[in-house]
Amino acid sequence: MTVLTRRLSGTVIAAAIVLTGCAKNAPQDTFQPKGPNARTIDDLQRPLFYIAGVVGLLVFVAIGYSIFRFKDRGQDMPEQTHGKTWLEVLLTVIPAVILSGIAIPTVAAVFKLDEKSNECVINVTGQQWWWEYDYSGTCGGVEITSPIVTSGELVIPADTPVLLRITSRDVIHSYWIPALNGKRDAVPGRLQTLRMQADEPGIYTGQCSEFCGLSHARMRQAAVSLSKADFQTWVTNQLEAYTAPEAGTLAATGESTFLNQCARCHQINGLLLADGTPALAEPDLYVVAGAAPNLTNLMTVTAIGGWTFDILTDECREELWNASPEDFGALYLQGVWMNSGPDAQKPVCFAEATLRDWLRNPAAMKPNYADPNKLDSTGGRTRGMPNLNLTEDQIDQLIAFLLERK
Amino acid sequence: MFTTGSKMFLGATALSVVATIVFSASEGGAVGLMGTVGLITAVVIFAFLAGINLFTRDGNTPSMQQGVEHTSSAAQPPVGRSMWPLGAAVGIGGLVIGAISKPVVFKVSVVVLLAAIVEWMVQAWSERASADVKYNANVRSRMLNSLEFPILATVGAGAVVYSFSRVMLSANPNAGLWIFVVIGALIVTGGFLFAGPRLTSRRTIAAICTVGAVALMGVGVASAISGQRTIHPHPVIDDASQKPLCLEGGEEEVDEHASQDVSLKSSVVANIYLQEDGDLIALINGMPGIEYHELTVPRSAHLGVIFHNDSGEAQRLTGRFGTFPDKPEAVSCTTAVHPGKSAYFGVSIPKSNAASSTPFEFIVPGVDGATIKIVVP
Repeated sequence: MTVLTRRLSGTVIAAAIVLTGCAKNAPQDTFQPKGPNARTIDDLQRPLFYIAGVVGLLVFVAIGYSIFRFKDRGQDMPEQTHGKTWLEVLLTVIPAVILSGIAIPTVAAVFKLDEKSNECVINVTGQQWWWEYDYSGTCGGVEITSPIVTSGELVIPADTPVLLRITSRDVIHSYWIPALNGKRDAVPGRLQTLRMQADEPGIYTGQCSEFCGLSHARMRQAAVSLSKADFQTWVTNQLEAYTAPEAGTLAATGESTFLNQCARCHQINGLLLADGTPALAEPDLYVVAGAAPNLTNLMTVTAIGGWTFDILTDECREELWNASPEDFGALYLQGVWMNSGPDAQKPVCFAEATLRDWLRNPAAMKPNYADPNKLDSTGGRTRGMPNLNLTEDQIDQLIAFLLERK
Repeated sequence: MFTTGSKMFLGATALSVVATIVFSASEGGAVGLMGTVGLITAVVIFAFLAGINLFTRDGNTPSMQQGVEHTSSAAQPPVGRSMWPLGAAVGIGGLVIGAISKPVVFKVSVVVLLAAIVEWMVQAWSERASADVKYNANVRSRMLNSLEFPILATVGAGAVVYSFSRVMLSANPNAGLWIFVVIGALIVTGGFLFAGPRLTSRRTIAAICTVGAVALMGVGVASAISGQRTIHPHPVIDDASQKPLCLEGGEEEVDEHASQDVSLKSSVVANIYLQEDGDLIALINGMPGIEYHELTVPRSAHLGVIFHNDSGEAQRLTGRFGTFPDKPEAVSCTTAVHPGKSAYFGVSIPKSNAASSTPFEFIVPGVDGATIKIVVP
């Protein structure tokens, strides 16, 4: 490699790194706060970056000057001196003053982020490799009469301080929605709190930020903020009683298939066994984490598989994500039935191929530890959803059934 | 062509390659994989060291003169006695004894044997490095001191720490307090004396430290032999046979220091208070001033609550975690806690309360109405 090639390569790489900072479509940009907590962090980090930038620049200039000024040109070795008291005092005092100056707003920000004026408590539980949310009590003035359990998407009322109580069922994860607040580790055995508040309705994405195993990169999450009226609608919808599919339909067959294949891990509230008793999932017997996503209202979320795979079509996803705060709630509450009209037989926005592929073989889309031949160490329990070897007919039935979970 | 140092590492590389091939061919499974990876690592390390030796010509300026090593140095007869054959013999003896007694003896012997072989090899090699005994000793130091010092320091520090821990486990809790006071005072006094260069010589400091360390290890060995004192655990009672105890009031099993797990105190589901009027309330972090009589707990998550007894009598907190088909009701409780004291209570509930035929709740046996409903979605 010639010197020119090396320099060109270096320049291109450096330019590429710098240009990544100019990305417009960056929903996880920490410099675009969408709530008061994230704004508090942003107000702190920007001046710090400026100060650090100036200090860094001065250091690089000093180093560069020294390199060129004192380059070995065959001159005599300069006189070696040691100890200039005034310089050493100066070099100690300046960083101390800078750090003291930084400490004051930092401590103030830490206390501000811990304000306790919350109006809603939501339990957030991480496991390999998805997040579960459970709601109870009152949230933003909306009464939740029986527990709501969802996964992937944290739905919160806009302009309302929400307290997340975060823990983990297996390994350490870290919950992070950059637009709304900083990170908080989810540690097994501990319960930590994090405040969330969104200025206005919208969708704010995040990513597990603590390496947690094979599919860590596919452990994503989102916070969906709705107006209080829309949040009331969402809660009401979540609490609606289970409606069995019409007898003789494909969905009705899908209900039986679900009971036979899925119900041992996945809970659907209100689903009954053939003898009329409630079908109660027992994921603690089959999954290392002891939990699997509750699918009662699966079609009210926009992505599955640890919020990694969209079940909205690309066009509908774009429409939802680009919707104005005023229009967002109405679109979101329609889910995959967005733009479908009241009499539609099939949802227009449903990315069926995604769910079909997932049901066909989840491990092919999201690496996990669910190979039955390699589960000796966990007593046969899986980390992630195993391949159930469903037939195409069974997949059709399940999709028809799940489409009604809205 | 090949320097003296590189010959040794090239030999070790070749040996490691052969060992890798033989081991990987003869051993399968996870053990085989781990061992093979370890041996490949050894190959890479030895080859790397051989390369460095070749490149730097053993870091020995005279050896860069062609032929010097043949004319003067390694041809000289070795001198000195070695204790490493004895060390290797001890290692082999330990291997035999360990093979028929305890695995730990076997493992320690493997370490002793390997250490003795490495030291023996390097010493034998270094004594032939040149005709200059001082230079040879220096070569050996350069080769091994960077390994010996950290290992010996770690072993030494470990021995001191382990000995101290044996002493503390053996001494009764009150004596432990005074041991800390006395040792702390000795360390401070010693530091003060040592800080004054005129007061003590380096030799004196070394002697005092050595005597102190030996004394500590001696007491540690004696303490280990005498065994640790009886330490009273403070468990949550979850034995099914204790169910009547959990569901009854009274002061049996009262524990003044029930809450031992300090690290968990700041990260609990709730702080539960039994108040003077008999009301049982839960407070959660981030929601100050709100008294909850219902707690939502994620299923299958290992979490905890802290029970504070603000009543006038010793009481226990009991958790009723449901009754499921073919199983008795799951009940566990803290020991009874003195008034004004608190206790940590670990909770992990694998089933939803929707599946239970009996309620999920925290109660204080014997106190009517002291109940907090548990919701497990």
